[in-house]
Amino acid sequence: MTPLAFEALYQAEWQELEEHLDRLLNRTSKRSKEPLRGERVAALYRRACEHLALARARSYPAYLLDRLDRLTADAHQVIYQQRELGAAALWRIVARDFPRAVRANSTYVWLATVLFAAPLLIVGVLVYYQPNLILSVVDASTAAEFEQMYSRSGEAIGRVPDAGDNWAMFGFYIRNNIGISFQCFASGLAAGLGSIFYLMFNGAYAGGIAGYLTERGLGETFWSFVATHSAFELTAIVLSGAAGLKLGHSLLAPGRRTRRQSLVHAARECVVLVYGVTAMLVVAAAVEAFWSSAIWLPNAVKYGVAAVCWSVVFAYFAVQGRHAA
Amino acid sequence: MAREVLDTVVAAETPEGIVLELRPAGLSARFYAFLLDWLIRLMIAYAAGIAAAFMGGLGVGFWLLFYFLLEWFYPVVFELSRSGATPGKSIVGIKVIMDNGLPITPAASFTRNLLRVADFLPLLFGAGIVSMLLRQDSKRLGDLAAATIVVHQPQRPPKVRLDNVAPVTPVVPLGPNDQAAIVALAARAPTLTGERLDELAALAAAVSGDGGRAGPNVTRRVLGVAQWAMGKRA
Repeated sequence: MTPLAFEALYQAEWQELEEHLDRLLNRTSKRSKEPLRGERVAALYRRACEHLALARARSYPAYLLDRLDRLTADAHQVIYQQRELGAAALWRIVARDFPRAVRANSTYVWLATVLFAAPLLIVGVLVYYQPNLILSVVDASTAAEFEQMYSRSGEAIGRVPDAGDNWAMFGFYIRNNIGISFQCFASGLAAGLGSIFYLMFNGAYAGGIAGYLTERGLGETFWSFVATHSAFELTAIVLSGAAGLKLGHSLLAPGRRTRRQSLVHAARECVVLVYGVTAMLVVAAAVEAFWSSAIWLPNAVKYGVAAVCWSVVFAYFAVQGRHAA
Repeated sequence: MAREVLDTVVAAETPEGIVLELRPAGLSARFYAFLLDWLIRLMIAYAAGIAAAFMGGLGVGFWLLFYFLLEWFYPVVFELSRSGATPGKSIVGIKVIMDNGLPITPAASFTRNLLRVADFLPLLFGAGIVSMLLRQDSKRLGDLAAATIVVHQPQRPPKVRLDNVAPVTPVVPLGPNDQAAIVALAARAPTLTGERLDELAALAAAVSGDGGRAGPNVTRRVLGVAQWAMGKRA
């Protein structure tokens, strides 16, 4: 069969597929009243694949191959389009995949916990007993600012005067905290070094501030402020660091895979952790902006709620999704 | 299908047994797309800032939230749309797909855009640029981890129009690549000046038995071979 005869014979089918694709890809302004029939598109796609294979095998001219190439490539994109982020998929991540991923990667999680908690405790205790050491963590004006934030003078705890209302702070916490945790994760690609650095740095920073404020006698305000949202925030930072460590480790020790396969595999598992971490940080930001800062709540209530939150977080990671199908 | 080395085409096989040819977009195309997206984001952030200025504290919160989403999720949202490309990429004519030719998945888009941070290290996308320059498929680190690839969107090939050329049977046997080259010349013919077309046709004159000669008549006969290759017979 000559190329022109081939084209004339199957032209109609290709055109039909092209029209369907134009509609599906919003490439046409023409409105068609006919309903789109998925099974027809799939059938036409398989036909076009056959035609392409034939045309290649028979060395038909380039313009014909190009047209079929383009046609099958477009149809392939449309037919295999994935929509995995529906409500059901999100629920599955929360109810099952996220806590399971945390348990499956417990080695990284514990390692990240140590990397974060050790500098926090050490710097915290050092600064508590030797307050001028705070100046090696932050500069003098920042230290003064923190002191002002947690003195009981303002209308809300945890912010400098005139910093804006709860909503403004919510926006700020989201941007700041989720940014930090994404950085903690992504920099793990540098053989895990970035994650190690950010975990230790953030641990030391938090410890330094905590030790300093406690020593200055602002402990009551500070601890009652951070107790609740830290259940979500610190856990989330540690988990994103753990995901980063996993990424770095997959590169350093790929095992029986190639380095690239190993990285792709690890990233696929890590992304579930990052989804979960993002959700936790949104919760943390909401709690921090609207609950932790409330000055009228008695501390006993805050500590009570904090205890509940910490227990819920640990219980969630310990048991959620163990038996779910 | 073995390919000559100078081309950067990446082959991806589909379940239907056909091979999709992906043409990776190089550093310059992606740089322009990035620049355009950056400008677009800047304008959106600015417009949102003006709107937020009228809303007080709620406005500041809204703006910070919006800016956060713009910073991290602007590419994700657009890559997951049907076009698979941010506006900047769309303008340049490139898009993001999985490296097996499938449309990009949400998880992959999320991964490659978060890992932009790693590509930025040590400064000004140093790691990403080095990776793109070293690899034949121009992947940055985020693409490597997410198994995605940025490709040129396929363009519609020009239609071959040779209505008034009589078909000529080639005097030497022509393989598929030779035929394709001559048909491609015919496809380009309307965009070339007469002299340039004659010059190019003279290179292929051997196929119509006119080796060593040049001129409009030789060109006509070479185009006639193209006509033959497409199935026209005298």
